[in-house]
Amino acid sequence: MTFFDGLNVTSAFPLAELEVGEHFYWEIGNYTVHGQVFITSWVVIALLLITSYLGTRNLERVPSGLQNFLEYALDFVRDIAKSQIGEKEYRPWVPFIGTLFLFIFVANWSGALFPWKIIELPESELAAPTNDINTTVALALLTVLAYFYAGISKRGIGYFKKYIEPTPILLPINILEEFTKPLSLSFRLFGNILADELVVAVLVLLVPLFIPLPVMALGLFTSAIQALIFATLAGAYIGESLEHGEEE
Amino acid sequence: MINQMILLAAEAVETSKEGGLFDFDATLPLIALQFLILVVLMNILFYKPLTRVLDDRAEYIRQNLNQAQENSKKSEELAQQFEEQIKQARRESQEMIAQAQAEAQEQAAKNLAQAQQEVQAEREKATAEIEAQKKEALQSLESQVDTLSSQILEKLVGKELAKR
Repeated sequence: MTFFDGLNVTSAFPLAELEVGEHFYWEIGNYTVHGQVFITSWVVIALLLITSYLGTRNLERVPSGLQNFLEYALDFVRDIAKSQIGEKEYRPWVPFIGTLFLFIFVANWSGALFPWKIIELPESELAAPTNDINTTVALALLTVLAYFYAGISKRGIGYFKKYIEPTPILLPINILEEFTKPLSLSFRLFGNILADELVVAVLVLLVPLFIPLPVMALGLFTSAIQALIFATLAGAYIGESLEHGEEE
Repeated sequence: MINQMILLAAEAVETSKEGGLFDFDATLPLIALQFLILVVLMNILFYKPLTRVLDDRAEYIRQNLNQAQENSKKSEELAQQFEEQIKQARRESQEMIAQAQAEAQEQAAKNLAQAQQEVQAEREKATAEIEAQKKEALQSLESQVDTLSSQILEKLVGKELAKR
């Protein structure tokens, strides 16, 4: 059983352990929160804020270095918002949609690139904040609130008439849609990121060298795509709400 | 053997009883709140300043473009104006040359005529003077001739005879 012994060595290897569904609980009053999600999300938020602060400290007309990079990022998220909401009304929504994209993107990539495993937690492990269902549901619910706000501020209480348009027969389907939107948003992101991390972890467990690399690269790609999809869909929903308002 | 491997992998991916994948708790609202704060902070740190810079730059480029177009139009006008001025100056200079030549010729002709007139007048005056002197000389000669002839007579015939 030399093979078995070899495997035991592998699983004693600290990099190749995997814990799912275990959380590093913090207690605040009567409530518990997942500490590992907050720790990593703080790192992500700090990264975003520090980069923006450094890049916008002394703005020049001819950009260079970090400012150039940030302008590229801003252009990118502005294009997402513009293509989904339209030239006329996209501007106030750029911060929300752009931050959705940047936060999810940096969070996903941090999960794949940052060596979280170096930091030991008593329970659970540090990973991308987006692999916790709480984070993705929070973002999805905020998106729902955002498009409700967009529709109601545009059209008032008449916004709810969209449920019986084009015909009242579609009422149940239209109401169902309000639930499927956040569900699909949150589960798509959550599932993709968690599955990606699991696949990488299992592969690392089985073959610790080289073989997981293509899967990791694929993971980076899907992470970026998922961030883009989330932001684009949020923009599309908000744009749809605003468009409904315009027809009146 | 492969079975054992899979079993081991599955064992490693252990799911604990408490918690689990779909464990909703206070993390959700707190993350939402945190995200909203992030949106606000990013708006202050990232979106507002950079959007302003982008808009300013777009405005600056538009202004410069307009100004450049205006400038090129203006310079074209100026070039045209200069060309016209040059043309006019050339015409004027030619006119001036022609006028000067005409004036010079006139002056020369006048001068020539005057000189000829003067010469003529001088000659006439000289001729008249010569004439007058000739007359005078002739007169004085005549009177001398009278005296000389009477003296000659005296010498020849004597004083008494001559007085008669």
